[in-house]
Amino acid sequence: MSDENRIPSRKDLLDIASLSVEEIEHLLKIAVPFKDLFKRSVKKVPALRGKTVLNLFYEPSTRTSSSFEVAASRLSADVTNFTVSLSSVVKGESIIDTIDTLQAMRTDYVVIRHSAAGIPNLIAKHTRASVVNAGDGFHAHPTQALLDMFTIREVFPESAGRKVLIVGDILHSRVARSTSTILNKLGVEVGVLGPSTLVPAARHGFMRGFKDWDEAFAWKPDIVYLLRVQLERQGEPFFPSLGEYHRVYGLTTKRYQRVKDEGIYLMHPGPVNRGVEIDNEAMTYERSLINTQVENGIAARMAVLYWLKPDTGSEARGGAGAKES
Amino acid sequence: MSAENENVRLFRGGEIASEESPFLQSADVLVEGDRITRVGAGLEAPDGAEIDDCAGCVLMPAMFDLNVHACEPGKEQKETIKSCSEAAINGGVTGIVLMPNTLPAIDSGGLVQTVLDIVAEKSRIAVLQTGCITKGRAGEELAAIAGMAAKGVPMLTDDGDAVADSRLLRRAMEYAKDFDLPLAMHCEEKSLSGRGAINEGPVSYRLGLPGIPSISEEICLARDIRLARYTGAQIHIQHVSTAKGMESIRRAKNDGVRISCEVAPHHLIFNEEDIVDYDANYKMNPPLRTAEDNEQLLQGLIEGVFDVVATDHSPHTEFEKQNGDFASAPFGITGLETAVVSLYHHFIKTDRFGWDLLVRRYSAEPRRILGLDPVPVAEGGIAEFLIFSTERTTTFSREYMKSKSANTPFLDRTLDGQVVSVVRGGEVLK
Repeated sequence: MSDENRIPSRKDLLDIASLSVEEIEHLLKIAVPFKDLFKRSVKKVPALRGKTVLNLFYEPSTRTSSSFEVAASRLSADVTNFTVSLSSVVKGESIIDTIDTLQAMRTDYVVIRHSAAGIPNLIAKHTRASVVNAGDGFHAHPTQALLDMFTIREVFPESAGRKVLIVGDILHSRVARSTSTILNKLGVEVGVLGPSTLVPAARHGFMRGFKDWDEAFAWKPDIVYLLRVQLERQGEPFFPSLGEYHRVYGLTTKRYQRVKDEGIYLMHPGPVNRGVEIDNEAMTYERSLINTQVENGIAARMAVLYWLKPDTGSEARGGAGAKES
Repeated sequence: MSAENENVRLFRGGEIASEESPFLQSADVLVEGDRITRVGAGLEAPDGAEIDDCAGCVLMPAMFDLNVHACEPGKEQKETIKSCSEAAINGGVTGIVLMPNTLPAIDSGGLVQTVLDIVAEKSRIAVLQTGCITKGRAGEELAAIAGMAAKGVPMLTDDGDAVADSRLLRRAMEYAKDFDLPLAMHCEEKSLSGRGAINEGPVSYRLGLPGIPSISEEICLARDIRLARYTGAQIHIQHVSTAKGMESIRRAKNDGVRISCEVAPHHLIFNEEDIVDYDANYKMNPPLRTAEDNEQLLQGLIEGVFDVVATDHSPHTEFEKQNGDFASAPFGITGLETAVVSLYHHFIKTDRFGWDLLVRRYSAEPRRILGLDPVPVAEGGIAEFLIFSTERTTTFSREYMKSKSANTPFLDRTLDGQVVSVVRGGEVLK
């Protein structure tokens, strides 16, 4: 795949907003052969042999961290999982102290998840390793966006002009921010539906808002992308009850029927709250892409790790300081 | 005779800025002792006088800042009264009013005296210490107001924490009136601002940061105005950041409410769109708002809604500001050293407003609010002025700044203009 490297590598992947359309297309393109690899008996390539990938998770996430772990090991990298215990945070160890420790370990790639927005940007400034944002607060989740786009391209190779309806907690969702940004960059229309408490008036300008499902269905979406919802965040209630949410904004049996009738695809970043965003029966829907998203997550993350280039110290650092999504 | 003339200086070839005119007036200035004795063209230097060549420079009254955090006692890693007053001098400011959010908070006459003792020893400029409205700034009971009044506090304030309890604030206003003490208000309805870090809007959404809605300021401000009208108290609204909040003040002034207000340079110069790459040197409370707010606040300053410019100088160490995430970094930026140069660079040089505005709003009016006399560069007046070069530039490097902290968006930026020298009472401070 060495001939694919016409698009210059970046040091870090912090968000989608700072990627050019060419860079996104390049990542989606190099993810294809990685996915093909999964069908082979030997699923590994030696691309990152001798390199080390550190999974630095300040927030528990079995799905994302194992997806990165599988992606890295299929590229033959050595993977270290570093789940930061609450105790070292309580002890007052700063992020920068941790990064200095990691720098001493000569890690090549740092995959970081943190509950605070902007932490990957901070780390990227302080390390020569390539930093991959695996989710920071409500800010960004760029590899989720890439795997979502990759998944959409599999069902709609000509994705421009298609319509994706994102339903749920737009306010607190880094997935909504990053995935809507990648869709918008590639010409996919984005609609959003949810209670006004969770669909802020101040949002990405391209997000078209709908009042209810009827209005949203009338827009003829090709894909319905459901987000996980919680009743409250930090003690602040955003709607009266999960039951009421399900009735008004959930994919009820009746709405699921309409989704089936119109052949609309379903996506969800997982983990699914059954009975809240979605009824049980919709989980087995043939046009549900939820499990495909998980599988594609590995290919997309392989593409990212393959494309990024740590700063070797011999040249100026690039990538960091990019704008946020 | 030379001994007699030791304290005689002739500032030759400069131009003088005053409240009276947006334009400058060429004149030489003769200072004898602590007084300006002559102002006029082509002054002869008396025998033995020192001569300062002021060609290309503006002489203007030294500035006075009503909203400053010196962090002493208790937070000396950020700033001390000494470093803060030296920072003020570096920026052309010869008088500062300190906020009481120290450790402990200044809520009694004894604590005021503690600060004044440090001031007497460490500061080369005028430093006034404010006192808390409530004990420990906790918003629960009144602070020892009479004792602080006796020590000469110019105003009462709970600084960055608005008194949430309206009943308590009402009583504070009524009580403070008996001591002729104005209350300085930071306007924030905490139930709306919550954990917010920057202005609520498209940028907070894009960055995934919790927002501080403009209504948080507007609502608290409206409450404070109504309480002031009802009680007859004198209030001073600090660091107004929203255009709508400013309009409430404009109406209140027309209605005869005893109210003054200030705007900070950063709320005129920067807005939420400037917050890039989670740089916490753009994080302060109230937050940077919108470009529209910038423009309207500037208009408000020009039209006289704002009585004063004040910086809300808030030092924090680099570790506090830059070694964690944006949302948990402390609020506040330094301002004493950058105010005059940045206002010149952004507004005077570009003809948005004249020299008179800078002099009136950052030098004369703050003094009047405190009951002090302005210090115009005029014959017979006290010599308290700064010499400002419009030909030179200033690079706000860490080395340039005298503050212990360098948490400013201007860090390592070069702006037009330079505070060349500062004179106070005949003494050359810078």
